[in-house]
Amino acid sequence: MKRRKFLLGTTSGLAVVANADHVFARALAQTPLPGLPGGADRCLVLINLYGGNDGLNCVVPHGNDRYYQLRPALAIDRKDVLAIDRNVGLNPGMQSVKALYDKGMVAIVQGVGYPDPDHSHFRSTEIWQTAAPDRYEHTGWLGRYFDQAGPARENLFKGVAVSKVLPEVLVSDRTDIPAVPGLGEYVMMADRNVAARGAFSREATDSHLPFASPYLAHVMEIEANAQRSSEQLPKLVAGYKTEASYPATGLGRSLALAAQIVGSNLGTKVIYVEHGSFDTHVSQKMTQNTLLMQFSNAIGAFYNDLGVHGNERRVLTVTFSEFGRRIDENGSRGTDHGEASPLFLIGGGVKGGLYGTLPDLSATNMGNVRYTTDFRSVYATVLERWLGRSSAALLRGSFAQLPVLG
Amino acid sequence: MAAQQTPVDVGGIVRPAGRLDLATALQPRVGRLGERSAAHLLRRAGFGGTPDQVRRYAAMTAGDAVASLLTLPPVSSITPPQELEDLGRPVSMATDPLQRSMLGQEMTTHRERAREGRDAIVALQLWWLNRMLSTPAPLQEKMTLYFHAHFTSRATPVYPWITYNQNALLRRYALGNLRDLALEISKDAAMLIYLNGAQNVAAHPNENYARELMELFTLGVDNYSEEDVRESARAWTGWRVDRRTDTVTFDAALHDSGVKTFLGRTGNFTGDDIIGIIFAQPQCAKFFAASLLNLLVYNDPEPQLVDHFAALLRRHDFELTPILGTILASNLFYSARAYRALVKSPVEFVVGTYAALGVQAIDPSALDALTQMGQRLFFPPNVAGWPGAKNWLTSGTMIARQNFLTRLLNSQTLAGSSWLQGLPVASSAAARRLAQTILQGDAAPEALFELEGYLSGTGTAALAPLSAENYDQRVRGAAYLAMATPAYQLN
Repeated sequence: MKRRKFLLGTTSGLAVVANADHVFARALAQTPLPGLPGGADRCLVLINLYGGNDGLNCVVPHGNDRYYQLRPALAIDRKDVLAIDRNVGLNPGMQSVKALYDKGMVAIVQGVGYPDPDHSHFRSTEIWQTAAPDRYEHTGWLGRYFDQAGPARENLFKGVAVSKVLPEVLVSDRTDIPAVPGLGEYVMMADRNVAARGAFSREATDSHLPFASPYLAHVMEIEANAQRSSEQLPKLVAGYKTEASYPATGLGRSLALAAQIVGSNLGTKVIYVEHGSFDTHVSQKMTQNTLLMQFSNAIGAFYNDLGVHGNERRVLTVTFSEFGRRIDENGSRGTDHGEASPLFLIGGGVKGGLYGTLPDLSATNMGNVRYTTDFRSVYATVLERWLGRSSAALLRGSFAQLPVLG
Repeated sequence: MAAQQTPVDVGGIVRPAGRLDLATALQPRVGRLGERSAAHLLRRAGFGGTPDQVRRYAAMTAGDAVASLLTLPPVSSITPPQELEDLGRPVSMATDPLQRSMLGQEMTTHRERAREGRDAIVALQLWWLNRMLSTPAPLQEKMTLYFHAHFTSRATPVYPWITYNQNALLRRYALGNLRDLALEISKDAAMLIYLNGAQNVAAHPNENYARELMELFTLGVDNYSEEDVRESARAWTGWRVDRRTDTVTFDAALHDSGVKTFLGRTGNFTGDDIIGIIFAQPQCAKFFAASLLNLLVYNDPEPQLVDHFAALLRRHDFELTPILGTILASNLFYSARAYRALVKSPVEFVVGTYAALGVQAIDPSALDALTQMGQRLFFPPNVAGWPGAKNWLTSGTMIARQNFLTRLLNSQTLAGSSWLQGLPVASSAAARRLAQTILQGDAAPEALFELEGYLSGTGTAALAPLSAENYDQRVRGAAYLAMATPAYQLN
C-alpha cells in the first residue's frame, strides 16, 4: 500500500499533507486557453440576486405606457430613469452600473428565463443553479465544470463561494470548493484546549488503521483541504493592497474579497457572491431601490479596484435571480413571484449593449413576462467563450450563444 | 489488524473491497457483539450510543440486541414540543362553531403567522434532535429520518402543524409496512402541498406527485412510461388540503373516475390501486432493497445482493420489522466490508457526538452547526432529499464539523459528561480509554501514542505536565483530538 506522509495539524489534530505549497505553484503555471481573449487568468464572478429581482423596476421600460398603467404605485418616474434609449433605462439607484454601461462594459440581456417557470423560490433557485428545469440534478452547472476540469483539481481555490453554505451551483461530485463567508470566518477555530501550537505532530499511514473504508481516502483528502485552505487563504491574499473604497455592505465586503482573490493570482476560475433579499411582496420601491443601489455601488467599487490593478479584463461578472416578478403590482405596494427578468454581464471583456428582447407587457404568460432567452444560452456563452469549455455536456444540451463577449 | 484491500471507487460507484458471500450474508451473526460491533450497531440503527449503552449491548448477541432495538414505546408517550402546542392546534371547522368564530377574531396576519411558524419549526428541529438522542427506540427515529429524506417534503413555516403531523406519520410507520406508508404519505397534507397533489383535479391534472412517486419514491427512472405518469395523476385527483384546519379531504367531484391504464393494467383506478400495482412490480422491492442497503450496510450494493434482499422484502410483504431485524442481525451487517463503510450524515455526527460524550440534551447551537454542515431538518434541498455520502464532505462542511466539536468540547454543557471528567489520571490509561470509547480503538498506533503524549504533556515543551489544574482542559482537548481523526467521520 502506498505510504503517505502526514503531519498532524498543529492545533487540531487533523491529518495534513505536508509540503502543500507546491500545488499553488502548479496552479499558477497553467497554460493559457488557446484562442480566447484574456488568457488563462480569467475569472467568472457570479452574483445571486436572491429573492426574485423585479426586472421591470430594474431595467425600466420607460417608453411603455402600459408599464405605467399596470403599476400606478410602483412605476419608476420617467424623469428618474437612467435612460439607455427611448425604450429602457436603469433604476435610479444604478448610477455606477450606468457609468460602466456608458463605457461599454455592461451587457443587459432582457427576458431571460426557462420553459414552464416554477414560482417557488427554492425550486426556481435550484433550477437556475443546476441548469436543469426539467429534472433534478444534485450538481450545479459550475460544479460540473470543475468536475470535468482535470488539471486544476489540485488547486484548493479554483472556485470560491463567498457565502456561509456552498451554493448548489458549485456542488459537484469530485471537486472540493471552499465556502468562505469572509476571511475571518473561514477558520478552523484555534483549539483553545490544545494550547500548544506545534505540539501534536506525528507520522501515520492509513495502512495502520484497523479498518478499511471506501471513504477513508476521501475523508483524509477533505480534512487536509479544510486545514490547508483555511490556514493558507489569509496568507495567500495578504499581499494584495488596495485603495478602493467599497460600500460598507455585505456585497461590498464580498466583492472586496473577490477582487483580493483575483488580484492574488490563486488560479481562481469562479467566485460566487450573493445579495438580497429581493422578495418584495410588500413596499417594494424602497427595498428594491436600496438593494439595487447597493449592488450598483459595490460593482462600481469592484471594477474600480480591478481597474487600478489591471484586472478588469480578467473578470466577467454575471448576475442571476430565481425569477422576475408579476407585471401588475399587488395590493401591498409590492409584486408577487413572476417569471422572466433581465440579467447583467459586466467586465472589460464584454461587448456592452442591450441583448435579448424587450419585455412584451401585453402578450404575457398569465400576467408574467414571458421568457425570450433561455438562461442556458447565457451559461453556454460563459462556458464556451469565457471559461473555454464545451457546454453541451455540462448543460445536457446545446444552447445558442449570445454575442456578448469580445 | 491490517487494513484490507483498497476499496473500489470507479465511475462514481463506491463499494467496499473484498468478496460478498451471498450464501451466508443474511444469516444471523453468532456470539456476543463486543464493544466494536455494538457501537457499529448503535451508530447504524440509531445515532450512536452512549458509552453505557455500548457496554450494555456489547454483552448481548446480535439477535437479542436487535430485538431490543425493535421494541417501540407506545405512540401515546410521544407528544409534540410545547412551542407548537402554544400556537394552538388547528381546530375542526365542521365540529366546533365556537372555535371557528374565535379563530376568525384571532386571525393574525400572514407575516406574523410565518414568524411564529418559523419559531415553531425551529422548536420542532430541536425537539426531534433530542428525541434522537434520548429515545429508548433509536431505530424508530433513524427510520423516521430515513423516510423524511425519502418521501421528502419541505416545511411550510405558515403551517407548522402540517410538518409535525407528517413527522408523526413517518414515525408511526417507521417499523411498519412500507406499502401502507406509501399510501398514507400520498394523502398526507404536507406532501399534497409540497408536490402539488392538492392542485391535482380532474379538469386540470397536476402530474408532479404521480411522477415523483415512481421516479424517486418507489421504482426509479426508466421503470415506467410518461403515459403511466399521466394515468397515475388521474387516479390521484380529488385529494385536497383544508389549510384552516390542516385536514385532508377527498372531493369526489374533483376526482377523475374514468378508466385508466397503468403499468399494463386497466381499471377504474384510485390512488390506492396505484400503490397496490406499484408494489406488485418486482422493481419496487429491488428499489427499496437497494435503498435500505445503502442506509444500513454500504453504498452501491452489488446487484446480486440487492436481488437477494429484495426477495426477503417480498417474502415479508414489505413489513419493516422483520426485514430490518434480519439485516441488522446478519453476518453482512457485521462484516469488515460494512464496517465504517458509510460517511456520517451531519445529524449522525452531531447527535452521535452528544451521545458519545454522555451529554443529556442537545442545545440550540447544534441547529446552526447542522445548517453549516448542510443538513437542515425539514428543509431538504429538493424532493430527491440530501444526496449524502461523499457529498456531505467539503472543506466548508468539514470546518463546520470540526468547529462544532471545538465549541461543544469547550462548553459548559460538557460538565455534564461524567465519563470524560472521570478519566484516569494516568495518561496512558486515559488515552486508551478515550480511543476505545470514542473510536472503538479505530486509531493508528501512532495516534494513540501522540494522544498519550498530549495528555501527559510530555509530547512537547509547550505543554505543562498534567496536573489537577489543567486536567479538565487537557481532557477536553484530548477528546477533541480523538474526534478529529478520520475514523470519526465514518459510520
